[in-house]
Amino acid sequence: MNFNCKYLGFIFFLLSINPQITYAQDDDTDIIEKILDILSSELGEDQDYSDIAERLTYYRKHPIDLNNATKDQLKELIFLSPIQINEILNHSLEHGPFLDVFELQSIRSLDIESINLLIKFVKVTLPPPFKDMKFKKLVQKADHDLMIRMGKILERQAGFSKLANAKEANYQGSAWRILTRYRYSFSNTLAASLNMEKDAGEQFFDSSKNKGFDFYSGNISFRGSGIVKKLLIGDYALQFGQGLVMWSGLGFGKGAGISTIAKQDFGLKPYSSVNESMFLRGASGTFKFRKLSFTPFFSKKNLDASLTDQGKEVSTINISGLHRTKSEIGNKSQLLSTIYGAHIQFNSKSLNIGFTSFQTQFSLPFSIGKSLYEQYDFRGNLLMNLGFNYDYNYRNTYFFGEVAHSKNGGSAFINGIMSSLSPRVSLVLMHRRYAKNYHSFFNQSVSEASNAVNESGFYSALSLKLDSKWDLFTYSDFFRFPWLKFRVNAPSSGYEIFTQINYRMNKKLNLSSRFKQQVREENSEANSGLETVDKQNYRIEIIYSINDRFSFRNRAEMVRYQKGNSKFELGFLNYQDIIYKPMSSRLSGNIRLGIFDTESFNSRIYAYENDVLYSYSVPAYQGKGVRFYVNARYTLIRGFDLWLRYSLTSYYDQKIVGSGDDEINGNKRSDVRMQIRYQF
Amino acid sequence: MKYICLIFILFQTELIAQISPGPRSLSMGSAGVALKEVWSLQHNSAGISEIRRPIFAVGYERHFSDQDLSTQKAVFAIPFKQHVFGLSIHRYGINEYSDQTAGIAYSRNFSGALALSIMLNYHQLSIHKYGESSALSMNVGMQYRISDKFWIGTHISNPSNSKFQDLLGSTIPLSLSFGVAFEFSDKVLIISDIHKVLNATIDTKLGLEYRLIKWFALRGGMSANPFKQYAGFGLQYHRFALDVATSSHPNLGYSPNLAFSYEF
Repeated sequence: MNFNCKYLGFIFFLLSINPQITYAQDDDTDIIEKILDILSSELGEDQDYSDIAERLTYYRKHPIDLNNATKDQLKELIFLSPIQINEILNHSLEHGPFLDVFELQSIRSLDIESINLLIKFVKVTLPPPFKDMKFKKLVQKADHDLMIRMGKILERQAGFSKLANAKEANYQGSAWRILTRYRYSFSNTLAASLNMEKDAGEQFFDSSKNKGFDFYSGNISFRGSGIVKKLLIGDYALQFGQGLVMWSGLGFGKGAGISTIAKQDFGLKPYSSVNESMFLRGASGTFKFRKLSFTPFFSKKNLDASLTDQGKEVSTINISGLHRTKSEIGNKSQLLSTIYGAHIQFNSKSLNIGFTSFQTQFSLPFSIGKSLYEQYDFRGNLLMNLGFNYDYNYRNTYFFGEVAHSKNGGSAFINGIMSSLSPRVSLVLMHRRYAKNYHSFFNQSVSEASNAVNESGFYSALSLKLDSKWDLFTYSDFFRFPWLKFRVNAPSSGYEIFTQINYRMNKKLNLSSRFKQQVREENSEANSGLETVDKQNYRIEIIYSINDRFSFRNRAEMVRYQKGNSKFELGFLNYQDIIYKPMSSRLSGNIRLGIFDTESFNSRIYAYENDVLYSYSVPAYQGKGVRFYVNARYTLIRGFDLWLRYSLTSYYDQKIVGSGDDEINGNKRSDVRMQIRYQF
Repeated sequence: MKYICLIFILFQTELIAQISPGPRSLSMGSAGVALKEVWSLQHNSAGISEIRRPIFAVGYERHFSDQDLSTQKAVFAIPFKQHVFGLSIHRYGINEYSDQTAGIAYSRNFSGALALSIMLNYHQLSIHKYGESSALSMNVGMQYRISDKFWIGTHISNPSNSKFQDLLGSTIPLSLSFGVAFEFSDKVLIISDIHKVLNATIDTKLGLEYRLIKWFALRGGMSANPFKQYAGFGLQYHRFALDVATSSHPNLGYSPNLAFSYEF
């Protein structure tokens, strides 16, 4: 272990400053982390959670009024299940307006955990005694929010060095990562957003062709209460039904709770993430006539793509958004996609029905891959998608589903039931069947593979509140892939089992343990058949607060990976987090010290890491070594915040870290990140 | 070829076949050490200790939707105050291979909370062209009510490790299982078992029963090792009850199970 003592000294110095002025904390990364942990049983490295974090942070600052809450607002909190949302909305209809947030306890389907989360995002405003007072609400002001984030890996990576016989380094730009983000909103009706980003290795104002940042994204949106509900120009996301035809942005599937398995669509929303591929660029709007709403959309956007040798066909679309090397720059904006279509929805209190249809046109046709498993992939340059989605709430049961079809291709179905059998028992059953030739570029339906194609499966989940302290969540999922897949040269099948037990001893101590097993088939190394791959995860976590400033978190995790009859591979991760968060102080922060020892790539372990606000990282811990990070936030004056993060991974017995252009000479990789936010 | 195939499956599932749960238990992941019903005779005879009227049930299970491979079974229980006696017969197999078991059980309830039971089984195994063999085995079971809503059960099958003398290689499994049952409301019952067979892997099972209306219940469950999913329903009409279940194995397919009972 070799982290810099200077930094520790600095932290202790900061910790020793006595807070003199009280400032309310307007964000709570811990809560958001908890929610993300529930939503996704396996967080991935390459997902961008900033969109969700931003939304949740917004509602922390502007809590939803329970007496005026809309379904869409509650959906945006994402950790609530559709049954819970319906019961919250029905509560005020049946029992009159909420008088206090703790009235939520009387709602049947809301468990303690959900209430504890929910009260952080809602408030109760009593109806004004005189109608005139309503006018006061109209006087509202414009909000500005400007954020700049910079970061860099401190060690030199191979891509930035000039090789002996090369003219220049592979990476064309500097090692700095820069993100500038601006948000404007005016009394919740008019909003604008702008993101400008440059990844490490990308050019930044440093060549004649370069136009500053590598990636720009922005939009202007209007929210109304009449016929025109939403209008948007610029970059946007669309989410309809169960995500079988159109779901841009992050979609969760099988998580550590039942709330994510039935997707709850938002329709049109401004795009605010820095993920450079999964969004639409153009214009859209939502118009509402009584119970019908209509959302037409149009998008024209350049995509990064590798072309075939003659440059006449597309071999793959690149979604990484990285333009560091000459070849990555060469692939930039090679393909033009034009998307147009519409979604019509009928909404009543318990029944929603939607119909989506859109056409995607590419400027170049897709070539068909040579491998057998690619036989049913999309070809040509024209794709038409149709989808029909429904959800229906009857008493304690929620039915949901979607049927989709891609023209000249196959169909896809997903249908499910979610039921709260008793206040303490909830059940989800879901069946899915996606044809091997079902094509859609924006599908994010529940699936074992990354896309909803070539798969059928049955998922069942049970959530039990044993008493006020113990709860248990478990799911099982059986799936079958009727056609070949990458590295699976035959039709295959598998299953997944997940169990999590939580124990809340008291407000200060929380214990949880988790088991997950994934069994699937893959090509054998030894012969031409398939072999079973069995991966098991075991996790124990303890969170406890020492006093009102410090809380600790320990996690121990083990992975056991075995393919066929070969010897199993083990991976271990053990970490200690110290979280410093006083009720009122200019300073807050957290530290992690972790030890990991994994035998192989297959037994690597992913773990969520605290980061600067709106930024979330879930790196893989692989190899043998020590991981350390420190993360601090300081409020200079109200509305002006500063973040600083330093992280270090020190590998044991390793002379190089990483590979290819990312290779570092030495056994360490450290990263520094700074962020300022100014709200006015 | 079919014959060889079947023999292969039979030997693979031999251990499972020894516990031949009733459809109510089967549809709940084949868990049920802590269940109380007449079919408890098949996997924890302590479960009959609360029977108050004589009851008779017959059942039929087809394995992996195969026309020939099936289990036929019948159970009967009769109470005399807090002493309950049970009788169970079952036959598993095809013409070329059959495994028949008859058992007699005694179960007693102590102070309403604890139930103990002992059962004697007579096994007969016959394999075409190989011969026949028989053996005696014993089971002991226990159930304990922790609270009105929560009870546990333990069952040891064949602790003396009896074997078929004449057919070497065919064993009567020695197993231990532990189960819990939790009544969340008058509609929802959750059960879970851990089942360990000597010289074989450990299995965990989970099941759910949802009594939609008084005379109709839906059930579902899963077991982890081997991975199987289960579903079923139960109907009750006066003294008659009909229970239907099916289990689904990823590779071998469905095994439907049906039983009918009458309470005197």
